[in-house]
Amino acid sequence: MAFNILLVDDSLTVRAVIAKALQLAGVDIGNLYEAENGAEALKVLDQEWVDLVFADISMPVMTGEELVERLHESGAIKDLPVVIVSSAGNEPRIKRLRELGIRDYIHKPFTPEQIREVVDKVMGVTSHD
Amino acid sequence: MTEQMRDAVQETFVEVVEKLTFMFGERAAIADVAVGTEPWAEARMSFTGDVKGSLAVIVPQELQPEIASNILGLDSELMARPEVLDDALREMLNVVCGHVIRTLAGPSCSFDLVTPENVVLSGADLQALLEDPDTSAYLLDDEPILMNLKFERS
Repeated sequence: MAFNILLVDDSLTVRAVIAKALQLAGVDIGNLYEAENGAEALKVLDQEWVDLVFADISMPVMTGEELVERLHESGAIKDLPVVIVSSAGNEPRIKRLRELGIRDYIHKPFTPEQIREVVDKVMGVTSHD
Repeated sequence: MTEQMRDAVQETFVEVVEKLTFMFGERAAIADVAVGTEPWAEARMSFTGDVKGSLAVIVPQELQPEIASNILGLDSELMARPEVLDDALREMLNVVCGHVIRTLAGPSCSFDLVTPENVVLSGADLQALLEDPDTSAYLLDDEPILMNLKFERS
């Protein structure tokens, strides 16, 4: 099953690294969308079907935390798995984000194996068969 | 900052940079940093919250392509874009900063990272950094790099 995945990070490098990690992990990708901040991500989500979101926390315009709040308020986060990939995580923030509905949190730097484990866990499939 | 904290920060820096760049890192003495005429690039970011301050990573510009290519993967077409080199250095800083703060202040410390910025240093800027007691030196695959950390509890 191919997944449509949205990568939200203001760093081109990080978006490229996550895309490569997904590829190396053998995740079956349908469409790969990119956004530089939470506001751009909301626009993509308004226009495209997305199965899974990877988002950073620290971004200009709209942070990943604000994005999660918006998705929580609209109820969209119940059906849209969001995984935070960041170096700005601390225990209180991660706890709050989990309460708002994120499915997982990955500390940078990460490995393709970690990405694969999270996709398997969050999407409920073995993506690398 | 105690000597023990300084050691922990320097150890964290090496561990994170090695994991991110797949390059061999080790601590070095400031005196061992050979400063020639080549330009150096700095990425600096500030942080606020339970702790505040700033962290900078400073590298010879000629090392940036290797750092970026190792982070991105050697076959990346993005390497042809100059802005990617600065973006990769900012990302290295971003990751180091989160880990260094947690090393110093613990996992429950609440903090926000401010978007990092890149600067090309003049010779005088670099000399001032080398004389700053908050600067530490490392070798990354035998090339010198510097970290400058300003840190205080709010």
